[in-house]
Amino acid sequence: MDAINAIIVDDEELARSIIREYLADHPEIQVIAECSNGFEAVKAATDLKPDLLFLDVQMPKLNGFEVLELIETDLAVIFITAYEQYAVKAFEVHAVDYLLKPFSRERFDEALALAKEKLARNEFVPRLEILSAAKPNNETVERVLVRDGSRVFVIPTERIDFIEAQDDYVSIRSEGKSHLKKQRLSDLQSMLDPKKFVRIHRSTILNVERLARLELYAKDSRMAILKDGTQLQVSRSGYDALKELL
Amino acid sequence: MHPILSNQERLAVYLIGWLVFGLLLAAVLALPHDFSWLEAVSLAVPLTLIYGLICLSSWYVCRVYPLQKTPVAQVLAVQVMAAIITIFVWGLLGSGWVLLLERVLTITGFRSRVLAKAPLMIGVGIILYGLTAAVHYLIVTFEASKESEQRELQSRIFAQEAELKALRAQINPHFLFNSLNSISALATHNPPAVRAMTLRLADFLRKSLRLGAQESIRLEEEISMSLNFLEIEQIRYGSRLQIVQKIEDVCKDCLVPPLILQPLIENAVVHGIAHLLDGGTITLEAEWRGSVLHIHIENPIDPDRPRSRKGGLGLENVTKRLRAIYKDDAQLNTDERDGAFRIDLWLPAQTNLGLHRPVPEAEPARLPE
Repeated sequence: MDAINAIIVDDEELARSIIREYLADHPEIQVIAECSNGFEAVKAATDLKPDLLFLDVQMPKLNGFEVLELIETDLAVIFITAYEQYAVKAFEVHAVDYLLKPFSRERFDEALALAKEKLARNEFVPRLEILSAAKPNNETVERVLVRDGSRVFVIPTERIDFIEAQDDYVSIRSEGKSHLKKQRLSDLQSMLDPKKFVRIHRSTILNVERLARLELYAKDSRMAILKDGTQLQVSRSGYDALKELL
Repeated sequence: MHPILSNQERLAVYLIGWLVFGLLLAAVLALPHDFSWLEAVSLAVPLTLIYGLICLSSWYVCRVYPLQKTPVAQVLAVQVMAAIITIFVWGLLGSGWVLLLERVLTITGFRSRVLAKAPLMIGVGIILYGLTAAVHYLIVTFEASKESEQRELQSRIFAQEAELKALRAQINPHFLFNSLNSISALATHNPPAVRAMTLRLADFLRKSLRLGAQESIRLEEEISMSLNFLEIEQIRYGSRLQIVQKIEDVCKDCLVPPLILQPLIENAVVHGIAHLLDGGTITLEAEWRGSVLHIHIENPIDPDRPRSRKGGLGLENVTKRLRAIYKDDAQLNTDERDGAFRIDLWLPAQTNLGLHRPVPEAEPARLPE
């Protein structure tokens, strides 16, 4: 079998060293990179396209799930976590491999064997299922993550002006810049606070805080004028939704 | 809340008492045949009832000048003044009533006869006022003692709750599993470090059990536990966790509730350092100013960090404990600004030797902040 390229992601040097040590017994696994935070992980995964990821969940700024969200390529993932959480239940339900710190060599070998089997069958980590299971109880997000090449942008939701749909992508306008994210507009809408973000149009979500005024455009349609002067079309249902909120 | 006015039953009993006084006064006026019974009763009863109501105001005076906290001379002076004012008001109302009675009952010379009794009335007024003030003071004392009893009970409950929580925090899975994982990692390449860390962990857990059971411990011991905890965390975080401490020597003997700082230090790591890519420095300072012990904890934070629901519980716990033990004599302030989180804690400075600051051996001059 070909060598399997792996990347170890954990903010703790000691934790990474354990995995390195255990991997010494598995010459077919080649560690092509080690990352100490989520940003490095996204960059390494995008640039180097590994087959396998050892991914710590609890990390500063960008946690393991957010890294998973941003890496769009298919790969196998073994999650590493320090304590039981709702996510562990999700792992078990979807037969995703995870290791609870501290873990023994035997436990590690088990997880690795499973991951290798799946890779052989081209069975990759069920990203969407894991991500939706990882979000507790439909809580709204406070920030949106965008990947640009191998760079990651973290956009706090309060800094979003509006979001427009562009085919399979959405364009998020924030602080004068536009960021593309591969996501459906309705998916993103379900993650945002409906009291702050309104779907004013089939292809537009507006942060109502940015709204300066509404103007009548043509016979039946309106225009939302934002505080920075931007004009956005508002549909009938969008207007109804806005009225209800304001 | 006025204890008598606020309760209908008590007010009724109170007024009935004054009614009795009124009848007694009427008897005193009528028996020597200075007044007819009709005159005496219609004069004395309403006047005493009104006086009874006016005397309720002495509650407010008694509350503002409680017996324990006010010098005797001041209490006497204030009460005499209040009595004079009360009697004066009563006098005014009384003369109005007398005039009315004179007209309604068409009595002659009523006013002059009443005036003859004025000294008696004033004398009675003073005695009754004194009685009312005394009763009010009794109520004040009673309520104060009930309040302090309640506070003591609450403080004990909070302390036990806090001890439980602190103990649970020491057995906090996050902390324990991470520490054990670090130990496991050190096992192959650094056995001496494993021993050191295992001992440190055992030490910390044992100390937190022992000190947690005491009512108060020296600040030096509390700080040493905080440092112990931080050193264990340092093994995980490596250079991402730096510690700076500046504890004035004189503070070391100050008595503090055990594990009062532990939740705050944990927060500094879990909500501060843990969210920063390059970590940062936790600063721990303590100084003695006047009669107050001032503790300052500072750490960098990421203002965009995800807010966990559990974040405020540690802080809330510490605040509750402080309030239960020190009431208003302790204060906890937090401030999040410019990428840093600052906690300031002020406690009354107390050592086993009493409240006085020991004479410092050699104190460097301190510039004002």
